[in-house]
Amino acid sequence: MIRYLLGRAARALLTVALVVTFAFVVLRMSADPALVILGPEASPEMIVAFRKAWGLDESIFVQYLDWFRAILRGDLGISMRDGRPAIELVAERIPATLALTIPALMIKIGIGIPAGIWASLHRGTMVDRAVMGLAVAGFTVPSFVLGLTLVLIFSVWLGWLPSGGQDNWVHAVLPIVTMGVGGAAILARFTRSAMLEVLGQPFIRTASAKGVPWGRVIRGHALPNAAIPTVTMVGFMVGTLMAGAVVVESVFSWPGVGRLLVVAVSHRDLAVVQCILLVVAATMVTSNLVVDFLYGFLDPRLRSGARTGGH
Amino acid sequence: MADVSLEVPRRAVPLRLPRLPIAVSLALVWVGGMIVVALLADAIAPYGYTALDLKHRLSLPGEPAHWLGTDELGRDVLSRLITSIRISLIIAFGATLISATLGTTLGFLAAHFRGVVEQIVLMLADFQASMPFLIMALAVLAFFGNTLPLLVCLMGLYGWERYARIARGLAVAAGSQGYAAAVRQLGASPFRVYARHILPNIASTLIVSMTLVFPEVILMESGLSFLGLGVQPPMTSLGNMVGYGREYITRAPWIMLSPALTIVFTTLAVSVLGDWLRDRLDPTLR
Repeated sequence: MIRYLLGRAARALLTVALVVTFAFVVLRMSADPALVILGPEASPEMIVAFRKAWGLDESIFVQYLDWFRAILRGDLGISMRDGRPAIELVAERIPATLALTIPALMIKIGIGIPAGIWASLHRGTMVDRAVMGLAVAGFTVPSFVLGLTLVLIFSVWLGWLPSGGQDNWVHAVLPIVTMGVGGAAILARFTRSAMLEVLGQPFIRTASAKGVPWGRVIRGHALPNAAIPTVTMVGFMVGTLMAGAVVVESVFSWPGVGRLLVVAVSHRDLAVVQCILLVVAATMVTSNLVVDFLYGFLDPRLRSGARTGGH
Repeated sequence: MADVSLEVPRRAVPLRLPRLPIAVSLALVWVGGMIVVALLADAIAPYGYTALDLKHRLSLPGEPAHWLGTDELGRDVLSRLITSIRISLIIAFGATLISATLGTTLGFLAAHFRGVVEQIVLMLADFQASMPFLIMALAVLAFFGNTLPLLVCLMGLYGWERYARIARGLAVAAGSQGYAAAVRQLGASPFRVYARHILPNIASTLIVSMTLVFPEVILMESGLSFLGLGVQPPMTSLGNMVGYGREYITRAPWIMLSPALTIVFTTLAVSVLGDWLRDRLDPTLR
């Protein structure tokens, strides 16, 4: 178990290192930030001074090592646009994003998992078809289309809810619903197929054949086994708490991390983009680690060490 | 080494024409219609997609001159929709082909060389799967600028890890089967073994994966374009039109609705086809 977790932790660190490298390679090698920030009218002296100030005159390898060292020190660079530390800019946006993504996650779990279980237990009935039809629709409607449709109905036509901004909780309703519905659909589909797979296993037949009441077969045998793939999916959703709202935040002009990313990207604000990439990666990696840890509880085979290591 | 011809007489497989469920038939009709529209875009669009008709700005849908209405600049929504369908489908098809080719090649390389190569491919696949694609795409696109070829290539990175995992797994399994060993011992080059013998045997699974990834590519591209970071004006795509129509959502919702519905129906249709194909072709589900 310990070896398994250590292996996972090593992979997590490797993923973060890859993200850092990716960010560095893409952002530094694409365009000259000096020209972008200073504009075409900048004098050559200004450009040289700017490059020196930001360390852009060093070789790319030196810049890379500096970047890594700075991150180890907790220094994620300074926004080229307003001169504040990038981590500060990102950190002050995080609460706004979490205010959307955490309630949305609760909707996804609260609706998606029960709906999936329900559909799997009534396989082939109208109930199942209705849930799955809705689930497919929820999956194929892009979040910006759903969001704008909700705005059209509830803000423009009915006038019940505001279409954007962040004054009080009412403003959060539409974005949360937009995100929650799509995710719930995906989770319902996923839970249903996980349940169906388990329900087709011989041990379910054995359990009901020896006279265990169906309710207890479901609770005691089917659900714990179907939980493993479902927990993986929920873990992935937890991992996207920081990053999952880029489009929805844009639709509703919500001042979160996603909006900051879009703005930073269009202004080529390297430090901020790198910082967001890193925060997103760290969230993903942490939630993956937690999921791996949970496997240990859900799957006794892992605890006894029968299935250690990666794939 | 003698060039041994390995032609195997093709056994005629009795073709069972399945009775199509209604949803699948509708999906086929819709996808077929979309492809026809994309191919004939220039011929069937009533106006150019940038042509202005300043006398008829924001005109309502239903008028004979502009069936789907016009936008703020008097551009015909139907003509723009037709061009958008073409652009979005070009990107989605191109990206799916690139992604499938790249993923399958890497999967085969991993299966062939094993060892370090396999570990690297699997690590990259894990990495790709664990990072939100939109975030990485945003970083790449905005910093490299937005040309159509770049966008297609970037979207071509979407989902490659799925093909790679499938191709690797199936190729490893095929390598231990008689036919692959037989052609190898007859002296076929590794390329020949993979391209001519293993690939046709695993193609159906890969094609199913393509139909499952395809709608996601459409959604991803339209999302990027909606954010203003995908296809750039004056060129137009479905996501672009929705993003533009959003400005006029109170005054002229029809600008937004027709491309939005097109995105939804297209992804829905391809998903239905993909699910149906998977149920029919994927032997692991039997």
